[in-house]
Amino acid sequence: MRNTWLIIQREYMERVRTTSFVVLTLLAPAIMTALMILPAKLATMGDKAQHIVVVTSTPQFGEMVRQRLLSANSASDRDEDDDGTSSQANDAKQTGANRTGASQTDEKQFIIDVDANPTEAERAVLRDRVTAQAIDGYLWLTDDAIASGKVTWASRNLAGSAQRSRWSEELSRIMLYQRLSKSNVSAEQADLLLKPIKVDAVRIEHGRETKDSSGKKFLEVVVMVMLIYVAVLLYGISVMRSVLEEKNSRVMEVLLSSATSTELMIGKIFGVGAVGLTQIVVWVVMAGVFALPALAMQPNLSDLLVPPAVLVAFAVFFLLGYLLFSAMYAAIGAITTTEQEGQQLQFIIVIPLVLSVFMLSSVVRTPDAPFVVWMSMVPFFAPVLMYARIVIQTPPAWQIALSLFLLIATIAGLLILCARIYRIGILIYGKRPNLPEILKWLKYAKT
Amino acid sequence: MNTVELAGVRKSYDDFVAVDNLSFRIQPGTIYGLLGPNGAGKTSTLRMIIGIIIPDSGQVLILGEPLGRAHTNRFGYLPEERGLYKKMKVLTHLILLAQLKGLTRGEASKRASDWCERFELTAWMDKKVEELSKGMQQKVQFIGAILHDPELIVMDEPFSGLDPASAVALKDAVLELAKNGKTILLSTHRMDQAERLCQSICLINHGRAVLEGDLDQIKANYGHCSVQIKYDGDAGFLHEPKLVQSFNDYGNYVEVRLAPDADTQELLRLACSKARVDRFEVMQPSLEEIFIESVSKPKPHA
Repeated sequence: MRNTWLIIQREYMERVRTTSFVVLTLLAPAIMTALMILPAKLATMGDKAQHIVVVTSTPQFGEMVRQRLLSANSASDRDEDDDGTSSQANDAKQTGANRTGASQTDEKQFIIDVDANPTEAERAVLRDRVTAQAIDGYLWLTDDAIASGKVTWASRNLAGSAQRSRWSEELSRIMLYQRLSKSNVSAEQADLLLKPIKVDAVRIEHGRETKDSSGKKFLEVVVMVMLIYVAVLLYGISVMRSVLEEKNSRVMEVLLSSATSTELMIGKIFGVGAVGLTQIVVWVVMAGVFALPALAMQPNLSDLLVPPAVLVAFAVFFLLGYLLFSAMYAAIGAITTTEQEGQQLQFIIVIPLVLSVFMLSSVVRTPDAPFVVWMSMVPFFAPVLMYARIVIQTPPAWQIALSLFLLIATIAGLLILCARIYRIGILIYGKRPNLPEILKWLKYAKT
Repeated sequence: MNTVELAGVRKSYDDFVAVDNLSFRIQPGTIYGLLGPNGAGKTSTLRMIIGIIIPDSGQVLILGEPLGRAHTNRFGYLPEERGLYKKMKVLTHLILLAQLKGLTRGEASKRASDWCERFELTAWMDKKVEELSKGMQQKVQFIGAILHDPELIVMDEPFSGLDPASAVALKDAVLELAKNGKTILLSTHRMDQAERLCQSICLINHGRAVLEGDLDQIKANYGHCSVQIKYDGDAGFLHEPKLVQSFNDYGNYVEVRLAPDADTQELLRLACSKARVDRFEVMQPSLEEIFIESVSKPKPHA
């Protein structure tokens, strides 16, 4: 116990003190933030107000279109924001960012001029102005064009389908509005008739409606999978690398004359794991500090909070997943001599992870299909799949218990097996042992 | 009671037998040498004694009991190649090694500082191990092996790669430990070193003991004397089978193994009659000679 503790301390202290650790811990969030904020900033920077010209047969109609377009534009932005709180890919921070971003761009998104001179000559002039970049584009909205049902939007860049459908949606609404007003329908009634309908998704959990959307669920799962991936690959490799280092520098022999291989392996796994946790905690705290102002502004804050049960499940499955895979990494380190060799064997660890990600979509679609249920019991998939099921739809308690039991039992078994491989392997240099040889070690390494 | 006792120990790796039916005893307070050429099984034997590897059969007794966890704090181990964390600071590293052997942090720190002073490493205590020279690293390794004041110190090729000054410092430290009643087991492939330091030896080759016991006793039993001759002229006297059993020409001089019952004076007379003799010295057999003799001689029962 004392030895294990000493090894944990050494692994932790020596790693945390390195410059690379400090730099990575402090810089990674900065890089992540930059990656998230920069594209948005760049996008708004490029988004100068669009200067467009609406060409109509009468100035009155042109002015009306101008008004409608401007108001529809800001209205649709608001709409999007309302969706945003509950739709995909919008965690707390991003929603905050979107909101401020949107309000900045609202006013200057369009500058609309009205042109009531629908002649071919004027069209040529407009064409030249577009080419000279004096305006961004023009909308050919003459009575003839409306009658034929085909309106032209001309600009330097071919409009994307999203932009085209937005134009046509808005113009259709304008036309409907105009027809309604021609049929003596008052403006308020017309507004009422044309009010768009929004679909709101609700999830029923324990007989209560919750506003959680599947998008947020999916995000919770994806964040977990990402963290497992990063933790396993980053810290697991770190475990393997440090085993190799000790083997090659022969420190192992000195340590083994004082401590058992099990103590060494467990000390290493927990020490490196503690370093990883420190890093993650620092990141979470930093993210919290930065995101707090944005979060506090959220009117529906409670909707954004992850339920405590999910947090507990996350912590449990994250830690167990790390233990499972890092024990395997330690064993790989023990049977190989160089890092290249070790990386060749990594597929043993990567394959279960990749398979779990493949199965993730089935879990999200049908969390209680028999295939999904049984796969989430398999220890190598459980950290991802069972966690995903817990987030999406609380599975029966016995299933969670069974999955946890199998996972813990596998970890215990693996630790014992790996300690044996470790015990023999760490003193073997040179040729990598094949499977029969490893099996033989397992038989006669009786520690 | 013997500090270490090996009884019929055998260890094989797949088909390769590293140690075969090896038995010896080490008395407390002695310096015991495990000798043999490279690949003879010395390191495997030492590793079995400190419990890093487990024998396939046979028994290792430490202080009269089968080797167990309780013993690990009572011996110190100096591996053949330096085994230190390169990035750790010297003092921190020594404290870690001593703590793993059961010392408290404070005590470990105090003793480490004392020993560093003795080996003139004080200025290097806050440096990383990788900044030290090989010789200094070996000193650190040695300090790490003895900080917890072990009763048995196991050293695998302690003098390899050391410059003469460091080797002398290490040798003095080893002798002092022995004087203080510690038992020392060291392996070496250099016979002359063992000859100067050890009271008892075990000579192994291909995993088997060739010679074992008290060094003086071994030499006495070996019986034959040899003669070192420096001469100039006809070497014909070396081929007189009645007097010379074998000889080994070192260039500057020839070492001659006398035939059984041969008279040294007769050989001198013969040499003088044929060549000019500059030096003629009757020698006790060197360990190296004994070793070569023992290894090349066919097994009695074969």
